[in-house]
Amino acid sequence: MSEYMQAYQVKRVLTHNPGLKSFRFDRVIEAEPGQFVLVWLPGVDEKPFALSGVFEHEIEITVKAVGPFTSQFMNVQPGDWVGLRGPFGTGFQPIEGMVLIGGGIGNAPLRYLAQCLREEKLVFRWVIGVKTAEDLAFREELESMPECIIVSEDGSIGKKGRAVDVLASMNDNEPIIVLAASGPEPMLLAVHGFANTFSPDIPVQLSFERYMKCAVGLCGQCCLDGTGLRICVEGPVLSGHQLQGVTEWDRPHRGPSGRRPQD
Amino acid sequence: MINRLHVNLAGIELASPLVLASGVMGLSASSLERVAELGAGAVTAKSCGLEERKGHPCPAILPFGFGLLNAVGLANPGVDDMIAELRTFRLQSDVPVIASIFGKTVDEFAEVAARIAEAQPAMVEVNVSCPNVAAEFGRSFASDPALVGEITRRVRGRVSDIPISLKLSLQCMSIAEVAKACADNGADVITAINSVGPGMIIDPNVRRPVLANRMGGLSGPAILPLAVRAVWEIAEAVSLPIIGTGGVETAEDVVQMVLAGATAVGVGTAVYTRGLEVFSNINSDLHVFMQERGITSLSDLKGAAHV
Repeated sequence: MSEYMQAYQVKRVLTHNPGLKSFRFDRVIEAEPGQFVLVWLPGVDEKPFALSGVFEHEIEITVKAVGPFTSQFMNVQPGDWVGLRGPFGTGFQPIEGMVLIGGGIGNAPLRYLAQCLREEKLVFRWVIGVKTAEDLAFREELESMPECIIVSEDGSIGKKGRAVDVLASMNDNEPIIVLAASGPEPMLLAVHGFANTFSPDIPVQLSFERYMKCAVGLCGQCCLDGTGLRICVEGPVLSGHQLQGVTEWDRPHRGPSGRRPQD
Repeated sequence: MINRLHVNLAGIELASPLVLASGVMGLSASSLERVAELGAGAVTAKSCGLEERKGHPCPAILPFGFGLLNAVGLANPGVDDMIAELRTFRLQSDVPVIASIFGKTVDEFAEVAARIAEAQPAMVEVNVSCPNVAAEFGRSFASDPALVGEITRRVRGRVSDIPISLKLSLQCMSIAEVAKACADNGADVITAINSVGPGMIIDPNVRRPVLANRMGGLSGPAILPLAVRAVWEIAEAVSLPIIGTGGVETAEDVVQMVLAGATAVGVGTAVYTRGLEVFSNINSDLHVFMQERGITSLSDLKGAAHV
């Protein structure tokens, strides 16, 4: 697998619920956790997805139906051909003592990061935040992992609350030395804000999302205002340092035309 | 120390002959500024039209081993947003910025030109040669010398003293004839060439063309010889300065373009094949190339292959 398009047959589909599924392909890739692949659904579109798992013989993406592309993806069956290229961008760097924090479908790439941490025998903790129990993929697997703390906004699974709100008490328990986060942007910025309340601040690795066309640093769609950093090349995983100078956090993201929806 | 790389392009002073080509890192002031800081002599913004366009779905940009096939479909935020980005860029950078425009009709070209001139770009590049919107725009304007001449004349009349460049395509009977039409109607510069083709890549398992638009323009190292030949032919036909564009990745490629007759040289797809460092890398390699041969100015090389 490379930046060139290659089609692969879907090997297995794992249905978490009708709008949340994982898709496995024959293993074709060496990738860091947090790196992404472009996924082409012929006749529909092509979108970036971070890998949720890399196994001996298979790779996996986890898709939640949120728009036209991901909704159509729910119809993909074993044996269907799907185009894949990548991996692209930067990944998370596994570190001893790392605290993972995920929001919703953002937990998918953290599952692969957790897998890497376990394989490297590194100690970690993982705060899994979801809106409601239905949003949790791999529920049985995650509930049985001693490293995981599951929280939901409606209290339908785990403690009621938001993932970020758990960080302070976790830190009281055992000081957090490094954070890896993936999820909605307000959550990422809240994690960054939390890390910055310490002196020196806690190092963070944050995974961002932007609309993109090329994934190879060319089209400019995913460039951040203020610094011009490309989410597809210098990201998607950025350090706190790389967030300095970015001026677009409070603005709607650029769409396919390059225009931001009216602020 | 003399800057051997300095060039004068239609009155615009460039610290390097390298011009970021349109369509690459060109949507925002911040991305253009980043390229400017990395050593581009000038930067070209993404082509914009009167209205916002979403362009084609993806895959729209496809690496294939010898360059890229792309069919972005003139996606752009519309001229109003682009004016704002250009103004922001000009507040932050002294590097000349070139606006790029397109229209569906001759009138629309003139109208977008008049609007974009409000942002006071160093130059307005007129993209008459996008190959990827055939279904909607009909045959590319660039194949018809009379039509390109008409667009040139109309745009020229709407941008006061801002230099204009016509971005031409090889999809025509004679690019030299099209260039003459530009020169006769008030063009200051020619940019050549746009992506070539269109071409198509079909996935053998999916059994469909991979690009959502089915076909798209070819760019990158595969088209360098075509671009060099086009620059050569244009240089034989007109005396206008040329931004030689197409497949340039190295200092030697730049020298080829200049020897064929280019004054400045566009760099686009190389941002993918060589990374953003391509600008500083070419600059330093070109400096060494010239120093070793005792060449103090690129103008000494311009068109020198024509004997």
